[in-house]
Amino acid sequence: MNTTNIIAPNREIAIQLQGLTKSYGKVHALRGIDLQVQRGEIFGFLGPNGAGKTTTIRCMLDMIRPDGGKALLLGLDPQVDPVAVQSRTGYLPGEMQYYDNLTSERQLRFFNDMRGGRAEWDYVRHLADHLSLDLHQPIKNLSKGNKQKVGVIQALMHQPELLLLDEPTSGLDPLMQQEVLGLLREANSTGTTIFFSSHIMSEVENLAERVAIIRSGEIVEITQTSRLTRSSINRITIRFKQPVEFTDLVKLPGVEVLAKVDRTSLTLQVTGDMEMLVQILGHLPVLDLETERPSLEEVFLTYYKKNSIRNKEQGA
Amino acid sequence: MRRLWTTFRYTYTSLRWQIIGWGLGVAIYGVMIVSMYDTLGAQQDRLQQIIASYPPEFLAFFGGDAISLLTPAGFLGMYAFSMLPIIVGIFAVLAGSGLIVSDEEHGRLDLIVAHPVGRPGFFWGRFLGLLGAALSIMILGWLGFSLLLGRSSLGFSWGDMAIPFLSLLIQTLVYATLGLFLSMLLPSRSMAAMVTGAIMVISYFVSSLSFMNQRLEMLAKALPYHYYQTVLSFQQLNLTWLFALLGISLAMTGLAYVRFFRRDIRLSGEGSWRRG
Repeated sequence: MNTTNIIAPNREIAIQLQGLTKSYGKVHALRGIDLQVQRGEIFGFLGPNGAGKTTTIRCMLDMIRPDGGKALLLGLDPQVDPVAVQSRTGYLPGEMQYYDNLTSERQLRFFNDMRGGRAEWDYVRHLADHLSLDLHQPIKNLSKGNKQKVGVIQALMHQPELLLLDEPTSGLDPLMQQEVLGLLREANSTGTTIFFSSHIMSEVENLAERVAIIRSGEIVEITQTSRLTRSSINRITIRFKQPVEFTDLVKLPGVEVLAKVDRTSLTLQVTGDMEMLVQILGHLPVLDLETERPSLEEVFLTYYKKNSIRNKEQGA
Repeated sequence: MRRLWTTFRYTYTSLRWQIIGWGLGVAIYGVMIVSMYDTLGAQQDRLQQIIASYPPEFLAFFGGDAISLLTPAGFLGMYAFSMLPIIVGIFAVLAGSGLIVSDEEHGRLDLIVAHPVGRPGFFWGRFLGLLGAALSIMILGWLGFSLLLGRSSLGFSWGDMAIPFLSLLIQTLVYATLGLFLSMLLPSRSMAAMVTGAIMVISYFVSSLSFMNQRLEMLAKALPYHYYQTVLSFQQLNLTWLFALLGISLAMTGLAYVRFFRRDIRLSGEGSWRRG
């Protein structure tokens, strides 16, 4: 498949991918990826492990060469002018590996030198302070989470126009995840376009404005995150101090009963918003409540089920 | 150009301990060998008896005979320069095969190449770092071999002593660039190092044995060590051999570059390591 020159550079669009394909022997890693990300947008790239998220990002930075299709980043073809693309882009790989004998500062100075010394060191310190990272520690002594912080700093430190992040909060504790997401929002507020991959639904919901869902090397959906959130499902187990009447709960739209025990325990699957459910539970003697996020595959299945029902209704 | 310089600087710096280790090792050996010549010379009669007691095959293995080994060039050739391509060759094999692939196998290359260096700048910066390291080892070695020349009866000047090191540098480059080239083709760095190391050792033995067995001569001529000039280089350096080996080194570097420029940067778990 060769779609060279089909897409034309557009100043308003930060990322243009058309018909991107990549195979490793018999394995089709990408089967024709088409997507566009507007400048200044935060775009989530959601998919299970092995779906092709990393391959797509690495194609964008000319680390792997697609078999077909075309990519334009900031209007530039990474295969024709990779240096121009890379100098305006920040990248965080899925797995950060360093020269372990260096300190975080020496490692960051190395990356900065590779960029021609563009980063302001005060800004690097600001990022490190934000993430509570001691720059003088040798990398070999750092935990996985702290290594990830070094990766986040190297991606942000030269204040790029476009950020390509492969699972940016991987390995971080929930508090630090929020700090990183905060830094990304801060970068976005200054005009940086953010494209990040994730297999965690809540992370995408938290940060992205739009989301593309990739599955087995194909984009299956590009939608507003809010729409995906409305379709998202949660599994909730509620235990009550005494037997209660469940009628009001099970009648709620989007609520499906999975199990109930003696009117004292109930497991529900809730699709979309939980506001009404929480309101009703407020009037009941709740002993404890446990929520469980279903796997991405289950989310996809629910999402498709709803969509196919909607399509059928529209067809009828 | 600036980014090529940055890559060169970091590569050279990362090889500094190898430069110091190998360079000082060769230099100290040189000091010992040069100072030993006069000590042995004082006992020349005894030395002649010892050499005469060696089997001719043994002397032939080192490319000499009982008479030539007593000359300064023959002495240095047998006791030092005949083995140096193998000793420094270990550095060449390891540094060449790991020059790019070591970072790739450790998962670091992905991020390094995502920086705006460009594959050409990155490759040539690293290659120049390796070249600089090999040159530095030679300079340290040459200084070690030359330091006591003024007090020695070897009769060589510092300039004369530079000539075999030039030949040694080219041998080192051949193995380093072969390692680099093979690392771009073979599935792993260790396999590239193994094949290059095997070629180096086979080359040494076949070339040495070809002095005793004429049937090996044809095979020896196809191997790099045959064109290494030790004793000969003091008398008359064969520039054709020197430039031919240099040309082969550059050709292998060029092919490695083309392969690196065209292929995917490998990442553990993505695609086949074999296909690249």
